[in-house]
Amino acid sequence: MEQNILKVTDIKKSFAGVQALKGVSLEINAGEIHCLAGENGSGKSTLIKVISGVYTPDAGQIVFGEKTYNKITPIESIRNGVQVIYQDFSIFPNLTVMENLAFNQELANKRKLVNRRRMRQIAEEAIGRIHFDVDLDAKVGSLSVASKQLVAICRALMFDAKLIIMDEPTTALTRKEVNALFKIILELKDQGIATLFVSHKLNEVFEISERFTILRNGERVITGATSELNNKKFAYYMTGREFEDGSFEPKDISKEPILEAQGLGLDGYFDDVSFRLHRGEILGITGLLGSGRTELALSLFGMRQVDSGTITIEGKQVRLKSPEIAMNHGIGYVPEDRLTEGLFLPRSIGKNIIVSELDSLSSRLGVINRTDKKKEIHRWVKELSIATPNPDNACSTLSGGNQQRVVLAKWLARDLKILILNGPTMGVDIGSKHDIHQLLKRLAEQGLGIIIISDDIPEILANCSKILIMRNGKINAMLSPEEADEQIIFQRMA
Amino acid sequence: MTKFVKNLTQRNETYIFIVIVVLSLMIQFRSGQFFTSNNIVDQLSALIVPGLFALGAFMVIVSGGVDVSCPALASLSMYATTRILVDINYQGGIFLPIIMSLFFGAILGAINGVLIASFNLPPLIVTLGTSSVFKGIMQGVLGSVQIPVIPRGMSSFGAASLFIAKNPQTGLTSRMPVAFMALVIVLIIVYFFLQRTMYGRGLYAVGGNEISAHRAGFNVWMIKFLLYVGVGMISSLAGLIRVCMMTQAHPTNMLGMEMMVIAGVVLGGTAITGGAGSLTGCMLGTILIVAVQNSLILLGIPTFWQGLFLGLLILVGMGVSALQVTRATKVKGPMIKGAQS
Amino acid sequence: MKRIFAIVLVLLLVFSTAACAKTAGPAKGKESDWEIVVVPKDATNPWFVRMDVGVKEYAKESGLNVYQKGTPEIDATLQSQLIQDLIAAKVDAICVVPVDPGSLEPVLKQARDKGIIVIAHEGAPLTNVDYDIEAFSNDQYGAFIMDNLAESMGEEGLYTTMVAHVTNASHNEWADGGVKRQQEKYPNMTLLEAEPRVESEDNGDIAYQTAKELFKKYPDLKGIMGTSSYDAPGVARAIQELGLEGKVFTSGTGMPADNAELLKAGAVKALTLWDPALAGKAMAALAVKMLRGEEIKDPVDLGVEGYTNLKFKEGSSTVLEGEGWIVINAENVDSFGF
Repeated sequence: MEQNILKVTDIKKSFAGVQALKGVSLEINAGEIHCLAGENGSGKSTLIKVISGVYTPDAGQIVFGEKTYNKITPIESIRNGVQVIYQDFSIFPNLTVMENLAFNQELANKRKLVNRRRMRQIAEEAIGRIHFDVDLDAKVGSLSVASKQLVAICRALMFDAKLIIMDEPTTALTRKEVNALFKIILELKDQGIATLFVSHKLNEVFEISERFTILRNGERVITGATSELNNKKFAYYMTGREFEDGSFEPKDISKEPILEAQGLGLDGYFDDVSFRLHRGEILGITGLLGSGRTELALSLFGMRQVDSGTITIEGKQVRLKSPEIAMNHGIGYVPEDRLTEGLFLPRSIGKNIIVSELDSLSSRLGVINRTDKKKEIHRWVKELSIATPNPDNACSTLSGGNQQRVVLAKWLARDLKILILNGPTMGVDIGSKHDIHQLLKRLAEQGLGIIIISDDIPEILANCSKILIMRNGKINAMLSPEEADEQIIFQRMA
Repeated sequence: MTKFVKNLTQRNETYIFIVIVVLSLMIQFRSGQFFTSNNIVDQLSALIVPGLFALGAFMVIVSGGVDVSCPALASLSMYATTRILVDINYQGGIFLPIIMSLFFGAILGAINGVLIASFNLPPLIVTLGTSSVFKGIMQGVLGSVQIPVIPRGMSSFGAASLFIAKNPQTGLTSRMPVAFMALVIVLIIVYFFLQRTMYGRGLYAVGGNEISAHRAGFNVWMIKFLLYVGVGMISSLAGLIRVCMMTQAHPTNMLGMEMMVIAGVVLGGTAITGGAGSLTGCMLGTILIVAVQNSLILLGIPTFWQGLFLGLLILVGMGVSALQVTRATKVKGPMIKGAQS
Repeated sequence: MKRIFAIVLVLLLVFSTAACAKTAGPAKGKESDWEIVVVPKDATNPWFVRMDVGVKEYAKESGLNVYQKGTPEIDATLQSQLIQDLIAAKVDAICVVPVDPGSLEPVLKQARDKGIIVIAHEGAPLTNVDYDIEAFSNDQYGAFIMDNLAESMGEEGLYTTMVAHVTNASHNEWADGGVKRQQEKYPNMTLLEAEPRVESEDNGDIAYQTAKELFKKYPDLKGIMGTSSYDAPGVARAIQELGLEGKVFTSGTGMPADNAELLKAGAVKALTLWDPALAGKAMAALAVKMLRGEEIKDPVDLGVEGYTNLKFKEGSSTVLEGEGWIVINAENVDSFGF
């Protein structure tokens, strides 16, 4: 068999009495592409930090070839060829590519003075390894996310890396950039460098990895060859639950559209966008970053004013000049970045839920009726099965999926006609994602008109009754889920 | 694209330079006195103290902090130095006073350094606090009053000149103080540190991303600590030079300079968020502020309007650089901008 | 029930009238309980350090609780905060040398409303004071400085005036007085039209830089009439450096000890001043007189040298003027002891 370069056995680690890792083992072979998957809180990041020496394990062993460690320091980890590329890439946006690449080595060699010629040599060598074409004198801050990542990868390669650990490397990348990244990972494989790829995105696991390991609740569920994996199994391993992943068939579509857009345009973002949304329908809007999909959503919620075209709600033409006006017309919006835009994280879950209906809960004097308030909060916590022992806890204590539910609850607590969701399950783990999908379908069945904006194509396919594909600010295609599959949508997007 | 960005940063400094040239021409036009040998010397000699402060402020801002305690620190250190030397009836040269004030500056700077580096407190709050403490020590402990006569070694250093410029038309003479060399030397040292040592690059790295700097292997604590020690020393030197040149030690007349100094540094294109900025820009910005401050009469601006004029200049200067930044992002085009939202 | 209510009401009325009475009449209580505070522009300026000497002397002589309390910097806001603190501490009298009279009015009004006696010095335009003591009539003092300057200038040539701030009350009155005297007495002298008044911000370095600029821009300028104690020394430094000694001149207020070298070197021929220690004493003495309930009637004798024959300024019922100026020059500079 292939020789393994890293072997961890029976690693245990607990924090303040909570067992994050309950005896996890993992083997990585030379040049292998291994995917480490698991939901939030499954112990992925803890395991990485144990391997890179940031955390000291309570029990277990870390073996690099001949050498066995009970605990390991970051320096020892690096000497054994482990390099971690964090989600934020650990780069200096204000400095040049050259400096970003050369600093680590110069510091490791305890250099005191700056020698630009030597630094340039180091940097050229570094980018040469993956044929990364970049201006060494450019400021890293001016590069695209993908290029920043490549800078981080190049830097990692300089230390005779044998294993590169990438923490959620595709989060901020476009599809094209993901493809480029995968190509580089394959090139590294040719050079005998293994990659441990941390992700919870299903399609990526399938696409790139040869083997996978799935963690759940601090335990290894399975390690196996990716070829043996399929959608259903993956979801089961991740969550321990079985899901029915069907498509959405709207039951009761209203005759008259609830929302009609006619020739909408916003200078520089989108142009001539027309569509209809009926009660009971889920409309999916997809497209690449920069295709205008986000601006379209913002325009429908009054955060940006369209330059041309008309919006009609229930037969009445309206001008959505501000979010307040949009809300008064029964439109709700769940933003992409719910953490900064949608929630008051330090406030309690309950307060977040009722914030948008405070008006209707207050008496004429503006005094809030406490019993009504409590009742209302409990209704929504139950209805959306938000996992919390106490709605008085701060919102920040919830997981991503549950936070998303709080945002939903906040909107549903109002009398809504139309709900717009931008990337509703971004950064949400599979279990919660499924629950949110179920919830959206149920809401549509209850007569809500829903618009989902997402670049997660399986999500769009599985949940929408109509799919609108945007490209360079125009509608490139309007499809029904039956006539579309991932391939077709990709083609229309690019 | 990268060439474009590079040009843009160059433009920023060129822009200040152009403003300085235009202003000089205006002054020349109004008074006929700007481009005279003795006026240039006057401007340079007025630059010494603010210039030194600006170098300190620049380094702190590059590291992502801001230091408003410099004038208070300088006042305390120069006052302590002068007081002690007067009390022991010191008769020697300038060497000992310089060493003493550098020593005091290092100690006071170390207080800032420890508070900011070890406890991770926001530099603005820390330096606001220490600024008050320094003033308080001067006031309460040293019971500071003006020291009208300073040791001869100090006053003769203040009066020593490299050369004397004489304006043939007016017959006015201005002397270039030897102290100007201090600014030049400190400037060279700071340049060397920032550009040629890993420590200096570390300062930029910390200003860019502190966590990354730590992960890359920089000793962030040491970088910050030494920074404030160094800035304390530079500020102290500025304070001592001010005393020597004025031939009397006044405990409060430097206070309040920090705002003009910081304005100059930021005017020079240094990012207030840290990590970016050049020494050239820093010095140009300071020259602009100093030149304006010391040319309002030459410009013929009535006393009542001087404050307004100075304030407007700062606002316009800042506004223009802010505008340039916005324009730079706009050039990328709306499609890409959409990608960021 | 009604009865108790009525009694309470009556008592309240009595107390409130008593409180009102306090604002009108002299303070109650023993003399040793009085607290009289002198608030200078700042605490480090040697001028006010000297004032403190007088205040302490007065406290010792009278045995009363009189002391000086200053802010660390010359700053109108800090000064008004300090006075607010004193009001809160319920002192009996505040003697103040205002940084910016205009901005101090509201807080001085508060003080007087609380029944605190307010005496000012160098604050002639103030309205919310019981009395303002001037060491002399500002007019006359300005004229006196002008006489000094005219003498050095040979009674001819272009001159301008320098004040700490154009908002500073007495500096500007001095400057006005000086200009008036020049117009009356020195027809061969002219005021610089373009810059009739410049600022030194009470800072020797700014006085120096400003003077340098003035001499460059206006080559005919022959004299600068200074007012603040930083003006003349700063201007003299510029004169020395520009090589203009003997060609241009300055005069103004100055402390003997600070200017001994300048005077002896001949950069400045003579400076004028009044003794701040005596001014401090006079303020305290007037406050005590009022606390004792004595009538203040023209001419007032405070028993302090130069302040034995105070007269109300023409048309004013608050500004009292003395005759407290002195001249210092190379000969007498060492004889003052401050």
